[in-house]
This record gives sequence, C-alpha cells and structure tokens, in this order.
Amino acid sequence: MEINLSSPQGADQLKARAALMQVLDPELFVNIIDLGLVYDVQFLERSIIEVTMTLSTPHCPLGDAIEEGVNNALLQVFPKHKVKINIVWEPEWNFDKISPEGKEQLGLS
Amino acid sequence: MAKNVDIKSAPDRIAVIPFYGAAAISFLALCSLLTFFHSSLSLHYFNPQTLALAHCAALGWGTMIIFGAAYQLTPVITGNPLSSPVLAFVSFICLLLGTIFIVLSFLNFIISWHIILGGSLVVLASFMYLVNIWMSIPHRISSPIQTLFLISSALWLCVTTISGLLLAINLQHHFIPREHLELLKLHAHAGLAGWFLQLICGVSSKLIPMFLLGKTKNSYLLYWSHGLQNIGLVLFLIDGYKNGVRFSSIYFGITVAIGVIFWAIFLYTSYKARLRKKTDVLMKQSLFSFVILFIALGMMLFTFFNPSYKWASMYIMVVFLGWITGLILPQTFKTLPFIVWNITYKGMHGKAKIPMPKQLYNEKLTSIKFYLYLIGLFGLFIGLFFQIQTIIAISSYIWLILAIAYCYNVYKIILHKTNIS
Repeated sequence: MEINLSSPQGADQLKARAALMQVLDPELFVNIIDLGLVYDVQFLERSIIEVTMTLSTPHCPLGDAIEEGVNNALLQVFPKHKVKINIVWEPEWNFDKISPEGKEQLGLS
Repeated sequence: MAKNVDIKSAPDRIAVIPFYGAAAISFLALCSLLTFFHSSLSLHYFNPQTLALAHCAALGWGTMIIFGAAYQLTPVITGNPLSSPVLAFVSFICLLLGTIFIVLSFLNFIISWHIILGGSLVVLASFMYLVNIWMSIPHRISSPIQTLFLISSALWLCVTTISGLLLAINLQHHFIPREHLELLKLHAHAGLAGWFLQLICGVSSKLIPMFLLGKTKNSYLLYWSHGLQNIGLVLFLIDGYKNGVRFSSIYFGITVAIGVIFWAIFLYTSYKARLRKKTDVLMKQSLFSFVILFIALGMMLFTFFNPSYKWASMYIMVVFLGWITGLILPQTFKTLPFIVWNITYKGMHGKAKIPMPKQLYNEKLTSIKFYLYLIGLFGLFIGLFFQIQTIIAISSYIWLILAIAYCYNVYKIILHKTNIS
C-alpha cells in the first residue's frame, strides 16, 4: 500500500494504514499491512472508504474474519464512513509483498 | 487465479464442533479400555476386546475427528462451500450411534442385531459424507489432485464400511465363501490404505505447504502417489479375496509404499522450499507422525515374513496410536482453536483487544502431551515385543493420562466463552 503524503487523501490514508495494522492474520500473527495483503485504500465521495485487498489463500477459512477486522478497524477511526472491501486475486499475493518487518516477524529474513 | 471466490466459506459450527467433542471423548474411552483390557493386546487380534479397541480407535477417534476436519477443510480444498452442514450433522449422529453399538457389541461379543444396526448406521454416515463432499465440488476445481484424494478416500471409506457390515452379518449368518479372518485383513486395509492414508495424503499436501509458506510445483508427484496407492490397494484386495493374503501380496504392499514415498518427496520439497524457517511445535509433531507412518509401512512388510499375532498386534498399535493418533493430537490444535476463534471473535476483530487462537488452550500442555505420547508408544512397543505385561500396563496408564490432558485442552477450546463485549 503506497501513500502519497502530498495528495489530499494522504493524511487519512496514513490514519487508515495505522488502523489496519491492528488487524492480525490469526494464523501468522502478523498484521495485514506488513503481510502486504492491502493493495490500496481510497476515500471516495459520500464518505465511502474503498479497500482493495487480497488474502494469502483463496477460500481461507478465516477470510471473512480478516474482512470483518478491516471493516471494524476502519470504523473505529472513521465512524461516520462506510467501508467497502474489494477482495481481488490479481495481482496474486506472494511472499515478495511481505514488508521487511513482516519477514522479520515470520522469521523469513 | 481464482475469481469470484466466496470467502465466507467456513461451514456452520454444527458441521464441525460436535465431531471434535465426540472424538476427544472417544479417545478417552479408547485409552480407558486400553487400561482395562491391555492384556488382550498379547492375544490373537481376533478377540472381543481387541476388536472393540480397534473399532473405537478407527471409528470413534480417527474417523470422527477426520469427518469434522474434512467438513471444515472442504472449502479450502475444493474451492466451494460445504454443500450441506445439516447432512454433516446427521452423519455425526449416525457415526456416533453406530460406533457405540459396534464397540459395545464387540466388547461383550454379542453378535446380534446390535452390531448389524451399528454397522448400518456407520455405512449410512459414510455415504452421507461421500455425498456431501461430492456435492461440494465445483465445476472448476482449485486443487484437482487434493480433491481427487478427498473423493477417492471417501469412496474407500464406503467400501470399508460396507465390507465391515457384510462381515458383521457373516459372523451371524455365514454366507461369504471365504475364511473370515482373511476377509478381516482386507476390510482393515481398505480402511487404512484407502480411507485414512489417502485422506491424510490429500489434506496434508494442501495444508502443510500452506502452513509452512512453502509452495512447490511438483504436483505430478501427487498424481503418481495417488495412482500407485490405488493400483496397489485394488490389486491387494482382488488378489486377497481370490487367493487369501499370501506372501506375494507383498508386491501390492510395496506398490502402495512407493506411492507413499512419492507423497513424502512432495512434502519434503515443499518443506525445503518453505519460507517460514521456524517450524512450530505442532508442525514438528505432525511431521514426526509421518516418520511413524514409514515405520508402520516397514512393519506391514515385515509381518508378511513373520505372520505371528504378536507382530500383527504391534502393527495395528503402531498404525492407530503411532501414526493416526500422532497426527491427530497436534493437528487438532492447528484447526479447532481457529474454528472456535472464528465463531467467537470474528465480529470483534480489529475492534477490541482479543485473544488469538493459540491463546484459547494451554499451549505448554501440547509439549507435555507429545512426551507422554512418545513414552506411551515406546512403552507399548517394547512391552508387546518382549511380551512384558507390566510395561504394557504402565504404558496404557500413560495413554490414559495423555487422553485426559487432550480432553482438557479440547474442551477448554470448545467451551471457551468471551467476556469481551
């Protein structure tokens, strides 16, 4: 998830990013930002936050728990917004998307 | 890559949790029976107590928990939600009642309508399972070879339960023109090499790379594994029925064993390619059970050379308590806490500070249980090998302590209540 701090959405995106770092993958114990599961967060008109993200495995039994976590975490910070989550499978998630911090937590680096 | 994937695919709790709860109680019952009837292990395996123990292990313990895990993991493997959670629950009732009837009938050696009713219920449960899994397969399968293992193992389960029912009827009204003990060997191996082995191969080849973050593209190894395991087993059963299990049956056993080696190579390449270098304790324990599988395969081949009941008892013990139990004990805690966590905390995720699945049970106890398992297994092996009743008795009590610890941890998860609102 890349944030352009000079854009009008920059500050909100930064807050959203911090909120999403509270959402952990229950199996890996790493937050979904460091796992690289969140591709983009956009603040749209009519107070809609659109999250584009993926899961490490399609049909993951905990997929809807992670989706629920994203919704809850964002509403905690932006209570007057509505959250729209798009789960996408392209680009496919792979290990290269894990941040250096995430790799360290997983013992990959 | 998968599109239009339904991520809300975890089945309803009634399709999964009852199986885990009943399997834990069955394991406790199995270990209690073992302490009462440990001396029966030194006798010929066709005795009431050993038959009761074997059916308690195979149906109440192994099949029960595998049904629950398979219903939970079907969406992960097939890429489709479970077809009918209600049918899954009905299969639970049938399997539970059927197992109780069969085990009690064998224990008291009352060969009457009870055992036939029990056998019929288990057959019914196995067909419900097959239909449910079959109906859950989409047109576009995400993991074809794993789905193939899942379906073929379910078919072998049906073959095993039908043959078991026919054997139960045959005990009362002899109608099969073959020796009963020879047929018993075929029935047992259809269950072991068809149902348990193929299901474990299929599910583990999906889950282990997933848990270890170790992707491998060598799925052709699994196709070879599946083919060889099925060819070996089919030929073993046909030849065994026509000529009885004889020395030349070893070639079919070797064919199955080569199939298992292909599967093991797949897992090994996946393990070597894993990104997650730190393997957790539960995964290490699970991988250890595969070592026991190879010991069991070696013992199977050895019993062809030494067809004594001592080796047969040791072989049965290593298969059920060494391999199958060795895999179930850790894998319970790789699945059940996540299932309960998903039910209890899904709505609070990201909103409040919540425990993680690992915190729903006593993690330290899993290591203690592993040592109890190793001591209990080794003790039974030595006790049976040297026919020392004292060692067999002490080992059976160690198994009972292990079962109590396992039940404690399982019910700690199942009965978990949150005070976070």
